[in-house]
Amino acid sequence: MHIPDGFIDAKTALVTTTLAAAGVGVALRQVRRELPPRRVPLLGLAAAFLFVAQMVNFPVAGGTSGHLIGGALVAVLLGPSAAVVVLTAVLIVQCLLFADGGLLALGANIFNMGLVATVSGYAVFHVVRRWLPGLRGQVAAMAFAGWCSTVLAAIGCAGQLAWSGTVAWPVAFTAMTGIHLLIGVGEGAISALVLLAIARTRPDLVGVAGPMQTPLKIRAFVGYGLAVILGLGWFVAPFACSWPDGLESVAIRLGFARHAATPLLNALAPDYRIPGITSPVIATAVAAAVGVVVVFGLAVLLSRALVREPRETAGAPASPS
Amino acid sequence: MSDAPQDRNPMRAKPGSRGVFAGGPLQRLPAALKLSAALVIIVGTVLLPVDWIGCLAGEGLALMLAAVVSRIPFLILIRRLAMLLPFVFGVALAGMLNPGGGLDWRIIAAKSTLCLLTVILLSHTTPLGEVIRVLQRLRVPGLLVTTMALMHRYLFVLADEAGHMRRARASRTFTRGRRFAWSALATVLSRLFIRASERAERIYDAMCARGWK
Amino acid sequence: MNPAVEVTSLGYCYPDGTEALCGVSFSLMPGACVGLLGPNGSGKSTLLRHLNGLLPEKPPADGNVRIHGEAITAENLPSIRRRVGLLFQNPDDQLFCPTVEEDVAFGPRQLGLSEAAVAARVQTVLVQVGLAGQDRRATHHLSQGEKRRACLAGVLACEASILALDEPTSDLDPRGRREFKALLRQIDATKVIATHDLELVVELCARSIVLDHGRVVADGATLELLGNEELMLAHGLERPHILQHVHPHHPHEAH
Repeated sequence: MHIPDGFIDAKTALVTTTLAAAGVGVALRQVRRELPPRRVPLLGLAAAFLFVAQMVNFPVAGGTSGHLIGGALVAVLLGPSAAVVVLTAVLIVQCLLFADGGLLALGANIFNMGLVATVSGYAVFHVVRRWLPGLRGQVAAMAFAGWCSTVLAAIGCAGQLAWSGTVAWPVAFTAMTGIHLLIGVGEGAISALVLLAIARTRPDLVGVAGPMQTPLKIRAFVGYGLAVILGLGWFVAPFACSWPDGLESVAIRLGFARHAATPLLNALAPDYRIPGITSPVIATAVAAAVGVVVVFGLAVLLSRALVREPRETAGAPASPS
Repeated sequence: MSDAPQDRNPMRAKPGSRGVFAGGPLQRLPAALKLSAALVIIVGTVLLPVDWIGCLAGEGLALMLAAVVSRIPFLILIRRLAMLLPFVFGVALAGMLNPGGGLDWRIIAAKSTLCLLTVILLSHTTPLGEVIRVLQRLRVPGLLVTTMALMHRYLFVLADEAGHMRRARASRTFTRGRRFAWSALATVLSRLFIRASERAERIYDAMCARGWK
Repeated sequence: MNPAVEVTSLGYCYPDGTEALCGVSFSLMPGACVGLLGPNGSGKSTLLRHLNGLLPEKPPADGNVRIHGEAITAENLPSIRRRVGLLFQNPDDQLFCPTVEEDVAFGPRQLGLSEAAVAARVQTVLVQVGLAGQDRRATHHLSQGEKRRACLAGVLACEASILALDEPTSDLDPRGRREFKALLRQIDATKVIATHDLELVVELCARSIVLDHGRVVADGATLELLGNEELMLAHGLERPHILQHVHPHHPHEAH
């Protein structure tokens, strides 16, 4: 998902850079205020860790492979502000040392992977964990948060490509989201497995004092949330009204007859046949909701398969209650 | 552990480390100049009107010449440029599916190749440490600079550790399968994170021991 | 004259309840070189960390550890840390900057010296440890022996007068060990060397302290302690080979 130079235009670069700078600025302030000095070197080490983790590819269905973004995982392990700083450092070094991701596109990449992925991942993790108790709940929340963060970052990326006029929105959206729905499964599963392994060997790292257990700081969080929603809205909103149209136009231009395209559309939006709903916008929203619920169910199943809890709290060393 | 960093031969670069190739004129220029030049070239390339193909061609020639002069191996250039392929491919495909919906993929491919070439030139003629020092002088916040410097220092240490762990694991694994690939990766990553955080504690002590405030 | 290091009935428990040190007392005169022996987990590293105030987490008021007569307090902690140079077990943890020059300059910069003074000091100590001209090299690419020297340079650049070394030769090959030993001998600071390398102790330290389970079990002339086979075996150590054929009452023949 590292956008190279040349794929986004000057105005998109300017806007994303401004948004990214603002977000990273807030994160730096938060970290300076809250992070104990003892944990400052951990930021650098976590960045090195994430860099190594991103170099490793994991197999996804159909012979393709994806790599970890790690935003959600680091946000859960270190807290959202620290994660934003870590991801920013990783992306800058990747750009300058390995030419991975463009220099002009750095702002866009920091926005997508450094801000959207981390903050959304952290928020989703915390909301889900409140519903599901114990270590099992944490694992399920991590898996789901990993998936959500990847998909949201991909949507941001698609919006930027479309706003730059590089690719038409329907194509960008369908392609980026489609691929990352799958890659997100890998991200979620691996994040959950890593979290579980850490919680089992060093429960103190994710324990009572860790950022996983600290309550969400509402004010800081509203700030981040606004930045992310504003940014995503900025890129995506101009196109949002044309979503269903877009899907259709892709199918038509693909040269498929309407009936031939139905399986594809069904896979992406199974609601097209939901009886009683005529508005395509609502139908798309319902489809998205169904997809999210399915993934959430998968996350819960994964956590049940991974964590055996004989009694409700006995197997959950990291659980606060 | 035979390939631990006990190697006395400085000519043998460690696998995965990005060598800065010595001896070209570009290598001797100050890092700040190269960084700003790269930024100017990239902005210029992106802003260049679509029909100025000649300009793009000239720029390409100049950049290739610079790469030759600074003795960057051809193979590395090709390998780095290959990273662009998925994106170019995607845009090309989108262009075919949706004619008129986006920009001509050939122009985009050309522009991004030139930009990538510029960044490769920068990264292979300028040690990252110098770039970080430039960022520091440009008043990038200290916390971010510290994080980047520590990351740069421990990147290869951690990569080596991950390699050792994977090899140790592989030597005791007798089955192959996708089902295990994810969990194996997760095990390596979790141990890597735990070690990284323990190392961070020791580094904090080492920093304090030399008067860090 | 004040002793350089004075430790009186020092005790320490880790947060998890493990008792690491219990009633440790000794004192060192300036310029002394002492070997700190004992099996793994006997409290050697914990003791070294107390010497420059990394432990306990909050400096106590009772002054169990005195450096040049000064008890360690929150106020004088920076100056104590400057004067007591701690060399960690793993040089990769200690060399946290990307290049040798930056790493050696870290301490002096923290002292607030001018850049010119920092550069001059870096050059001086690099010459002293035999790394002159290597200042631009990446710390990651140094050999293990060079890493050790760079660590020592970083500590010397703070003008430490007491060196606390934790297993300084554990990961060196025989040549690196010999070179590092020669280097240590040249540096006239008060030295406390925690190590399993008994030959190093025999060559450098006239006096040794044996720790076990956080207690001082022996404190005396190195050759006498190391020659006492019963004592050595009781605490997970052994008589070094160079003493193996020497009668304990004629230790000077060991050389």
